[in-house]
Amino acid sequence: MELNPAAPSIHSAPNALLGALTLFAGLTILLPAAAVLITGLTQGGGDAFDHIRRVLLAKYVFNSLIVLVLTGIFVLALALPAAWLVSVYAFPGRRVLEWLLILPLALPAYVSAIAFSDVLGVAGPVQSALRSLTGLSALQLWFPDITSRIGLAFVLASALYPYVYLTARAAFVAQSGPVLDAARSLGARRFDLFWRAGLPPAYSAIAAGLSLALMEAAADYGAAEYFGIPTLTTGLVRAWESLGEPAAAARLSILLLALVAGLVVLERYSRKRAAGFQKIVRPRRHTLSGVPAVLACGFCTLIALIAFVLPVSRLVWRAFTASGVIAPLAEATRNSAVLASAGAVLALLFALILALATHHRHPLSGAARTAATLSYAVPGAVLALGALSIFNVSGLLFAGPLAVLALALVYASRFTASATEPLIAALARAPRSVTEAAASLGASPARRAFEIEMPLALPGLFAGALILFVEALKELPATLMLRPFGWDTLSVRAFAYASDERLGAAAAPCLLIIACGLMPVYLLSRRMSGAVR
Amino acid sequence: MNDALIAEAVTRRHPGGGGIDAVSLTLEPGSVTALLGPSGAGKSTLLRVFAGFEPIETGRVRAGNTILSEPGRLLPAEQRRIGLIFQDFALFPHLTALKNVAFGLAHLPRAHAEREALRWLERLGLASRAHAFPSELSGGEQQRVAIARALAPVPRAMLMDEAFSGLDPALSDAVREAAFAALGEAQIPALLVTHDPAEALAYASRIAVLGEGRLLQAGSADDVYFRPVSPKAAEALGAVNRLAPDGVFAQAVPAARTHHRICVRPEGVRLDPGSAIKATVTALRGGGPLARCDLQSGAETLIARGLGAVRPGETVGISFDPKLTFIFPTGET
Repeated sequence: MELNPAAPSIHSAPNALLGALTLFAGLTILLPAAAVLITGLTQGGGDAFDHIRRVLLAKYVFNSLIVLVLTGIFVLALALPAAWLVSVYAFPGRRVLEWLLILPLALPAYVSAIAFSDVLGVAGPVQSALRSLTGLSALQLWFPDITSRIGLAFVLASALYPYVYLTARAAFVAQSGPVLDAARSLGARRFDLFWRAGLPPAYSAIAAGLSLALMEAAADYGAAEYFGIPTLTTGLVRAWESLGEPAAAARLSILLLALVAGLVVLERYSRKRAAGFQKIVRPRRHTLSGVPAVLACGFCTLIALIAFVLPVSRLVWRAFTASGVIAPLAEATRNSAVLASAGAVLALLFALILALATHHRHPLSGAARTAATLSYAVPGAVLALGALSIFNVSGLLFAGPLAVLALALVYASRFTASATEPLIAALARAPRSVTEAAASLGASPARRAFEIEMPLALPGLFAGALILFVEALKELPATLMLRPFGWDTLSVRAFAYASDERLGAAAAPCLLIIACGLMPVYLLSRRMSGAVR
Repeated sequence: MNDALIAEAVTRRHPGGGGIDAVSLTLEPGSVTALLGPSGAGKSTLLRVFAGFEPIETGRVRAGNTILSEPGRLLPAEQRRIGLIFQDFALFPHLTALKNVAFGLAHLPRAHAEREALRWLERLGLASRAHAFPSELSGGEQQRVAIARALAPVPRAMLMDEAFSGLDPALSDAVREAAFAALGEAQIPALLVTHDPAEALAYASRIAVLGEGRLLQAGSADDVYFRPVSPKAAEALGAVNRLAPDGVFAQAVPAARTHHRICVRPEGVRLDPGSAIKATVTALRGGGPLARCDLQSGAETLIARGLGAVRPGETVGISFDPKLTFIFPTGET
C-alpha cells in the first residue's frame, strides 16, 4: 500500500486551479460593462453626442425617470396588497392564486407591450366594444393612450410586479404568526394591521424586490421602443444603430449605469437587512369568509387576469386567426435554440465555477459573485455595446462564430448570477459528512464525484441550465444588436412582426417564448411551496 | 484477525485552536473503546485522524505494521478500510437503503453485493425497508442503515461518532447489540465517541478520556471507573463530589491529608447510622439507583445517588465507599 505524499486532507481548501478559474470567470463577466465604461469615459462622443445632448438628452433622462417612478408606484400597488392577502389570510382560491400571481414572470415586457397595445389600442376589442356600446366615433370617445409614459409604466409593472410580490410575500409570511397575532391582540384590525404591523418590518424585503424590478424596467428596450417612448435605453440603441456612433451610445450608457448603480446599492443594502426572512416557516392564516373573502379573491384574480390571462389569451386568439406563419418560425426557433444554448453553456460554466468556489469557501468567491450580481443589473443593450467594442466591429457586419461568441459572452455576463444560487443550493445537498462517508467506504475521488456529488447536484444544475436558457431566449436588445447577420431569433421576429403591425405573425413567437418562460416559473413555484406551506 | 489500530504520540493542531496533542491510543481487535471528554477536548479530531480526513503534525498512525499517517504523508481515507458511522448518518439521499449499504461492496459483483447488503439490513431488522429512500425512513431507521452500511464491507476498524445517541430507547439496545456483536465476531477494533458516561460504562470494554487535546487516561472501563488518575478523569464518567480536605466530609476519609484532593462518586455516598459524620437532606429528586439526594453540612454540600429511604429535612449519618473515593496528590486537577 502506497502512502500518498503531501496529500493534506480530502478537502484541501485553497485550490489553485479553482482560484484561477474563479478569477477568470469574474473578470470575463465584468468585461463587457468595463469596456463600455472605458469607451464612454475615454472617447469623445463626437458630433452625434453633441446633438443628443442638445436635443434629446433631457427628454431621455426625463422619460426614463418618470417611467421608473410610475412603474415603481404601479408595482407596489399591484404587488403589496396581493402579497399581503395570500400570506396573511386564507380564502377560497388562495392556493391557486398564490402561484397564478407569479406567472407574469414568464412574460417579457415587450411581449406584454405587444399584447396590451393590441387589446387596448384604437382597433382593439376594448375600444371597439365601447364604441359600439356608446355609438361614439373613435375621435369622440376618450380612452387612455396605452402607448404613453403611463401606459408603458403600467405594462412594465404588470410584467415586473412579481419581483416585489415574491419578496414581500416571504416577509409577510415570516411574520404572519406570532407578530401579527400580537398586533391583533393589541387591537389592530385589517388596514391598521397592514400599515402598522405588517408593512414596516417588510420594508427591506420590499425595497430589495422593488430595486430588482426597477433594474429590469431601466433595462427595458422592447416595450419602450414599441410604444415609441424615447428613454436612455432606446436612445443608446438608436445612437448606435441610426447614428452609427458607438462612442455616443457609450456616453449614454454611463448615465444609465449610474441610474442602475443606485438601484444596485439599494438592493444590496436592503437584501442584507431582509436576510432574516429567508427562513422556512409554517404560516398561520386567518380564514376570511363572506364579503371580505370575495373581495380578497376578486382582487387577486383581477391582477392575475390583467397581468397574465388577458395578454396571453389575446396572443392565442391572434395566433389562431392568423395564417401562414409557421414556416419562418421554424428557423427562428432553431436560431433561438442555438444562441440561447451557447449563452446558457457559457453562463452555466461560470455559475458552476462560482458555486464551487463558494462551496469550497475560496477567498475569491465573494468578489466573483459580486461581479456577477453587478453585471446582472447592467442593461443588455449596454453589455452588447461593450461586446462590440471588445470585438471592435460594427454589429451590422457581425457574422458567424464570432457573433455567437460575443452574444454568449453578453448572455453569460448578464445572467450568470441567476443560476449561481440554485447551483450553490444543489452543492449543499452533498455535505462534508456524505463525501467522507463515501471515502470511508472505499470510493475513490472519481467515484465520489460521479456517484455521489454529481447526482446530488444534478437537479440544481438542470434548474440553473433551464433558467439560463430561458433568460437568454427572452432577451431582446442585445440579441437584436449582436445576432449573426441574417439570424432572426424568436424574440427578434416577434418584435419585428409587431413593429410592422403584423400582430398575427408576432403572436406565435411570443407564445413560444411564454411557453419556455413558464418552465422556470414552474420550478420557482415548486421551491416556493417547498419553503412555505 | 484484524490488527490493532494505533495512534502514537499524534499531534494535530487546528489553526483556530483545538485539536490533539501527543495522543497515544491503541484500539484492540474485538474490543470497543469509548472516547469520552467534554466538547472541544479533541474527540472528533482524533476520530478524523484515524479515519484519514486530517493530516498529523507529529507521531504516527498505524494498523498493525501498516503505516496510515505520518507527518507529511497520508494514506487516503478510501484506501484505509476504516468504517465510519456519523452522528448525522450521512446517508446518500439519492440511493435506496439497499444501495446505500451496497455502496461499500463495489468490489463484489452487483447481485452478490446486493444479497450481502440485504443480509446486513436483515440483521438490523430493516429488510422490509430495503427499497426505501433515506427521506422515507425514520431517524432510527436511517441510523440502522448507516450502521449496516459501515459494517457491510467488514472494515479493519470502526469509528462511531455519537452513533447511538438519539435512538428510541426501546430500539437502541437491540441495535447496539447487533452492531457490537458483528464487531466482536469479526474481531474489529472499534472507537465509540460519546458524551454519555452510561453508554461508555455499559458497552465499552475500554475507556479513553480526553481533556483539552491530551489523553488523560486510557484503560479498562473498571480502571477508569474505580481507579481514575485525576479528578478530571474521574469526572469524565459523571460529576463527582470534590471534598474540601479540611472540611467535615473529609473526616470520613481518614487516609486523606490536607494537601490532597479528594473526590467521591455520588453513588459512593452511603447511609451509615453509626457514622459520626452527619448531613441534612436538602433535596430529593428521581428514584431507584439513580435517585439524587442533596446533602448539606454547614457550608459544605454533597450529591448522593441511590442513597435509599430518606426524607427532606432529615439528618442522616453517612460514610463513603472506599472503592468510589479517590485521593489525588496535590497538583492533579
